[in-house]
Amino acid sequence: MSPAAPPVPYFFHRLRLAYSGLHPERIHTLVEASDPVETVRMIETGRVKAAPAAREAVGVPAERRMEELSSAGVSVVLLGTDPYPPWLAAIPDPPDLLFVRGALPTSVGVAMVGSRRATRYGINLAKAMGAALGRRGAVVVSGLARGIDGAAHQGVVEAGGRGVAVLGCGLDRWYPVSHRRLGEALLENGGGVVSEYPPGTVPEPWRFPVRNRIITGLSRVVLVVEAAAGGGALISARLGLEQGREVVAIPGDIDRATSRGCNELIRDGAMPVLGTADMLELLEQECIIDPLEVGRRESGPGDAKGGLEEAIGETGATLEVLAERMGWPLTRLLVSVGELESEGRISRESGVIRLRRGRGSDG
Amino acid sequence: MSTRVYSAAMTGVTPRPVSVEVHLGKTNSKFGLVGLPDTAVREARYRVRAAMASSGYEMPRSEVTVNLAPADLPKAGSAFDLPIALGVLIADGKVSIRHPGVVAVGELALDGRVRSCRGVLAATLVAARRGIPCIVPREMAEEAALVPAVDLYAVGGLSEAVSAVEARSAPSSSRTPAAPTLSFPDMADVRGQEFARRGLEIAAAGRHHLLMSGPPGMGKTMLAKRLPGILPRFSGEEEMEVACVWAAANRRRPVLVRPFRSPHHTASVAGLLGGGSGIPTPGDLSLAHHGVLFLDELGEFPAHLIDSLRQPLEEGLVTITRRGVSVTFPCRALVVAATNPCPCGWSNDTVRQCRCSPASVERYRRRLSGPLLDRFDVRVFLGRMETEEMIGSPGEPSEAVRKRVERAREIQARRGGLNGDLSSAALDSLAWSGKAKRVLAGNIDRGNLTGRGYDRVRRVARTLADLGESEQVDSVHVLEALSYRTSV
Repeated sequence: MSPAAPPVPYFFHRLRLAYSGLHPERIHTLVEASDPVETVRMIETGRVKAAPAAREAVGVPAERRMEELSSAGVSVVLLGTDPYPPWLAAIPDPPDLLFVRGALPTSVGVAMVGSRRATRYGINLAKAMGAALGRRGAVVVSGLARGIDGAAHQGVVEAGGRGVAVLGCGLDRWYPVSHRRLGEALLENGGGVVSEYPPGTVPEPWRFPVRNRIITGLSRVVLVVEAAAGGGALISARLGLEQGREVVAIPGDIDRATSRGCNELIRDGAMPVLGTADMLELLEQECIIDPLEVGRRESGPGDAKGGLEEAIGETGATLEVLAERMGWPLTRLLVSVGELESEGRISRESGVIRLRRGRGSDG
Repeated sequence: MSTRVYSAAMTGVTPRPVSVEVHLGKTNSKFGLVGLPDTAVREARYRVRAAMASSGYEMPRSEVTVNLAPADLPKAGSAFDLPIALGVLIADGKVSIRHPGVVAVGELALDGRVRSCRGVLAATLVAARRGIPCIVPREMAEEAALVPAVDLYAVGGLSEAVSAVEARSAPSSSRTPAAPTLSFPDMADVRGQEFARRGLEIAAAGRHHLLMSGPPGMGKTMLAKRLPGILPRFSGEEEMEVACVWAAANRRRPVLVRPFRSPHHTASVAGLLGGGSGIPTPGDLSLAHHGVLFLDELGEFPAHLIDSLRQPLEEGLVTITRRGVSVTFPCRALVVAATNPCPCGWSNDTVRQCRCSPASVERYRRRLSGPLLDRFDVRVFLGRMETEEMIGSPGEPSEAVRKRVERAREIQARRGGLNGDLSSAALDSLAWSGKAKRVLAGNIDRGNLTGRGYDRVRRVARTLADLGESEQVDSVHVLEALSYRTSV
């Protein structure tokens, strides 16, 4: 199914075309109608409508572009050549070129998608799922956006797992800027950052839905963590179905608008995921993770705090919830929580206490 | 001519004596009033003339010159009516003064009655310092009575004042006013939110500034309003200081009640820190001296306003300079701030969706960081309550909480200061158990604590130890203190 590697001159022309900033689909149509060499010429001579800046960008020789890329630490991978993931090449409209920082995944991944305006429920679950998958060595693919995307990769990073972020802009910038640290942490952990857009491409709203096909394309399972009806995450779910991916979703309250998208997916046949165990089982079936490699069990703390860690659970809990679950007086609870925090086993944010795994396990 | 009649004017929170000098000249009846009077003071001559006539005294036929000394201190208000009238009567020989001197304040009605006015407290303080009696309007007797050891004459009319000057009536000695009947809303009204309640208690006990965050409707404002009620009862000195600040602002307040000020986020710097034209008057920050300054919706306050609070709060004093007049007001207030986690308030909530754009959330949170925020030792998050909490039994009443707070403050007083004011060096010299030190060190090693955070945790830990009446700060105190650092 994957096409044979095109001749090298075409690679250069395709690279020049990528810098035009045109919609990938538009480039694809133009190239299909003639060939990359002709398309470059058409843009340069103005026979194809394009902004003057695009015309100029296309005019820059590919050799210079290659130099720019190598000095920026960005590699470019052509469709059909070796590190290009074959499962991505198999989707209906694979990108001709992939710009990569870090490593391209060598095994098929799991896409985690969801709303950018996530609730705490979604954020907690995304982190927990990301951590569980990361611990078991699954490659978590997501978009590094705010909300679910970021939380999923946060979980991956905290668990020391590998993740791939697919950006909707050039790799010379982070979007959103606040996720720069997260992105760099992904790279440090041996993950990768990928884009079909060359460095210098600014984030424009239309580029994000387009890149979603790469997120699902790099994955075999698409997990929709939290999505409202009509959200961008549902575009990913639809793309996943078109690409023959297994789309699964985490259910939410049926009276909550923020869960509508996920619940509708489940009604329409997506498998409901009721916990990390469900997810891991599915991934074992799909041969994404090795069933033999049993995840490191928590170093079973037999003391009183162990019960507390269980009460915090995978999704985290507030002090009020913990007080109720443990039935402890507040001071005792606060002291125990303080102990766990001192040992680096939990983190807190906006009043939510979450278990931290991976890095803090030495405590 | 010797002056024996005094009044007082406030500069900042300092009452300054004003002598009322009266000179009777030879020329025809004229009434001159000098000594930087404002319009209200200048009009005193009409009220004095009429009041004297109504009370059966005749105005001297000669030229009357009244000087309010020191002449370069601006005088304002109607409080000088009574001293001027008394001064004129004494100078004219109609009244003989049987005291070494007398301080008087009061506005005169045309029929000779004495009305309430500003500056009663200042006058009483001046009288106390000079050891001479003070004549005040009857309606203001309660405020004057705050000052101990003064012979007070509470008078209803000019003739009563005259008999006081002539020592024909007995003074009522000042007495401590009865405990206020007005009380604060009670902590018992707050159901659930145990964590925040504990935070409130710690804040009150060590005078740590408190930051409450959480979605709307979780009880942030409700709790803040209950904070004055769990603060220790006023000491006489504190009450006096507060009374002086309020007197400087020309504001009346219920006595013996800790102030609670809640400036709106649209307030001006002058409104918050003090200022105004002419003689600077204290702002909300100083009016909250020894009480509570509540900043609701902290995220809505402009950055410059928040920043302007930092230095005064650290020093406990705010200095305002206006047209060469420099005035210093005390401002040892306990600051309580409440904020939503984002503009709409629902970010991170478990049930409702946040409607804010991610960029606006970031902007909002960025405003909630910075130098002033570092001063909030105690930070609590008020989350959504479980149904059982909301319909559960009422909380502990304020009275019980206040008892514990008072005990903790006594222990601190023996050490010499409130925990909220402890500096790094002072914290180092406290008694820490070996285990407590290890926990602190471990948290620094893990990157859990920064330099400032380290001090904050230690201050709060000390207060927790005081609440537990423990001599030494132990690991449990430190471990609990770690909980009060929740980010917004």
